[in-house]
Amino acid sequence: MTGKTAPLWPISIARILIGVLWLYALRWKLPPDFEGGSETSLRTWLELAVEHAAFAPYGELIDNVVLPNFTLFAWLVFLAELVTGLSLLTGTLTRAGAALGLLMSLNLGVAMLGVPGEWPWSYAMLAMWHAVFFLAAPGLNWGVDAHLIKRNLPSPTVRLMASNQS
Amino acid sequence: MTSATSGATAGTDGSNVDSADNQQGSVAVALLRITLGVILLVTWWGNIGDDFYSGDGIEGFLSWLFTPEEEGGNGSSLSFVGDLLDATIVPISGVAGFAQMVMEGLAGLALLVGGATRLASLWAMGFFFLLFVSYFGGGEWIWTYVLLFMAALTVFLGWGGRQLGLDQAISRAKGSSPAGLIW
Repeated sequence: MTGKTAPLWPISIARILIGVLWLYALRWKLPPDFEGGSETSLRTWLELAVEHAAFAPYGELIDNVVLPNFTLFAWLVFLAELVTGLSLLTGTLTRAGAALGLLMSLNLGVAMLGVPGEWPWSYAMLAMWHAVFFLAAPGLNWGVDAHLIKRNLPSPTVRLMASNQS
Repeated sequence: MTSATSGATAGTDGSNVDSADNQQGSVAVALLRITLGVILLVTWWGNIGDDFYSGDGIEGFLSWLFTPEEEGGNGSSLSFVGDLLDATIVPISGVAGFAQMVMEGLAGLALLVGGATRLASLWAMGFFFLLFVSYFGGGEWIWTYVLLFMAALTVFLGWGGRQLGLDQAISRAKGSSPAGLIW
């Protein structure tokens, strides 16, 4: 016996934990002011990303586009993290949630790459987990996706976002 | 269990796919293994450059972990972990540092190439759990260690070396691993 296939349930546990991670991270970027109470706020993180930009164009983008329109982008970040967290936690359209989470993880990695005290590999690992979720479709185990697929309800697009099977 | 042949499939009960053939899941676990290997090796190399694995390096690190944040430390809150490390590691910090250097390098290499993956990922689980409880409550982003521990656990349970790894060839040549714990 040389071939072993990966069980999906450990990936499903990770999916649930990382869903919790995204939702937990919302506590310091809550509307309407997106301030974090005693914690570093979203605006402060963005300012750090500008001050310690690893890539100058990225820092300029944050400085010239994002910070002047802070409320709009703060809402976008808040909603994206909320949607990703709920998708992963409940296993709903998991591959779409994973794709969104992958983009956000890469963005975080680029933003934090030059910030002192940040360990870039944390974001590499976070990005890799979302790639794993995208490939493995772990919402098919302990997730809403399993019920969507089982009942043959979804359109081809929804099926693509929930399952890695055509 | 046979070689993987297809993607994850929904079973009749809706809970499904847990042990079904899952080719894409297996490739995903292999990617996770390779990422873990790269992270361990890059960190290991950096630590060697910083003389982290010397007795003084290990003692300095442990001291920093449990020093309050306002005094420049990490401010870890599980003091019993600090006491345990003080009692067990600090008296033999030179040996412990050397052992850590060897194990971290070997585990990183094993995970990168997918050889002895079960053993390496088991060791990595223990290592990341120790880091989790050591950093807990401090200034470090604790989720890093959750992500790393879950990755090692998934690689262990998912036979991470049997896809894109040496373990595939080893198991072909030698059959099953003793107690399923090495390859």
